[in-house]
Amino acid sequence: MKQKKMKILQPTLREKQRYIALQVISEESEELNYSDLEAAVWNTMLDFLGEEGVSKTSVWLMKDCWDQKRQKGILRCNNKSVQEVIASLGLIDRLGDNRITFKILRISGTIKSIREKL
Amino acid sequence: MNFYDFHVHSEFSEGESSIEEIAKRAKLLNYKGICFTTYLDDKSKIKKTKEIVSKLSKKIEVDIFIGFEARNTSELDKLIRLRRDYDVLLVKGSDLILNRKAVETKEVNILTHPEYNRKDSGFNHVMAELAAENNVAIEVNFREILNSSKNTRANIMHKIKNNVELCKKYNVPVVICSGAVTHWQLRDPKVLISMGCLLGLELNEAKKAMSEVPENIIKMVKERQDEKWIRPGVKVV
Repeated sequence: MKQKKMKILQPTLREKQRYIALQVISEESEELNYSDLEAAVWNTMLDFLGEEGVSKTSVWLMKDCWDQKRQKGILRCNNKSVQEVIASLGLIDRLGDNRITFKILRISGTIKSIREKL
Repeated sequence: MNFYDFHVHSEFSEGESSIEEIAKRAKLLNYKGICFTTYLDDKSKIKKTKEIVSKLSKKIEVDIFIGFEARNTSELDKLIRLRRDYDVLLVKGSDLILNRKAVETKEVNILTHPEYNRKDSGFNHVMAELAAENNVAIEVNFREILNSSKNTRANIMHKIKNNVELCKKYNVPVVICSGAVTHWQLRDPKVLISMGCLLGLELNEAKKAMSEVPENIIKMVKERQDEKWIRPGVKVV
């Protein structure tokens, strides 16, 4: 039997999102893949903010927005935890043997506007 | 908004990267200016660094300043005597006597990480009052947080939070710096602003700590380097 779909929440009741466009600068311009980066973001955030802290951020590195060639992507979080998420990104300095750093390109409230500028 | 990083080490001091590598990375991360911090080992260093910096500044289009960091009181006295030859005077915090002397001295611009290698925060209300009076900025050093982990990081952040709270209460200027020793440790200004927010600053205060406070320091330094300037409040007209 097909499961019944849940009714969508009203816009006022939904969590307000922020989208952070970022670029990864890595040593010798080595191309990083989505799964490595996602693991690094999760591990660092769990270390820095703790499990309870991360639960408040609703953080998600968007897979369909990751541009492997240009090393650009979009990170989604809620509007109350933008500072925590960006500060955590700053604490990622290595991915394996590769030294990396993040450039924050833009912070936006809608995915449409941030995709246009990416 | 123009952002500045006033505590970066190059290969001339304890750093690993060249001045050019750091300046290029700073340009990529949208910094308006950076200050290369070095130690006073010999006086010829000032001239040599100045020559390299002036060439690079035009080439890369980033304002580059030269800063000297005093590690002890005798070095601080020497640097005060040579004050017109370089841009920013920083004092390496940690020793209580040196911290106190730094906030008492008008020539000092920044007291870097007063809590460094200490069990306490290395900064109290008396020092905060003196720092506000003499316009000495207190630094929030990102490298200290970056290079530590677990309980050490928690302790460092706790001490910085205490210092930030005191600075806010006594209107002491706060400056957020990366303290980078390689160009890989340089961080996007937005990252440093966010870290400032987590350490107890409001968003506008954190932005001010990376733009307005360094700009005021540059303004003051340029005024002092002018030939007409004699001492604070005294100028040849």
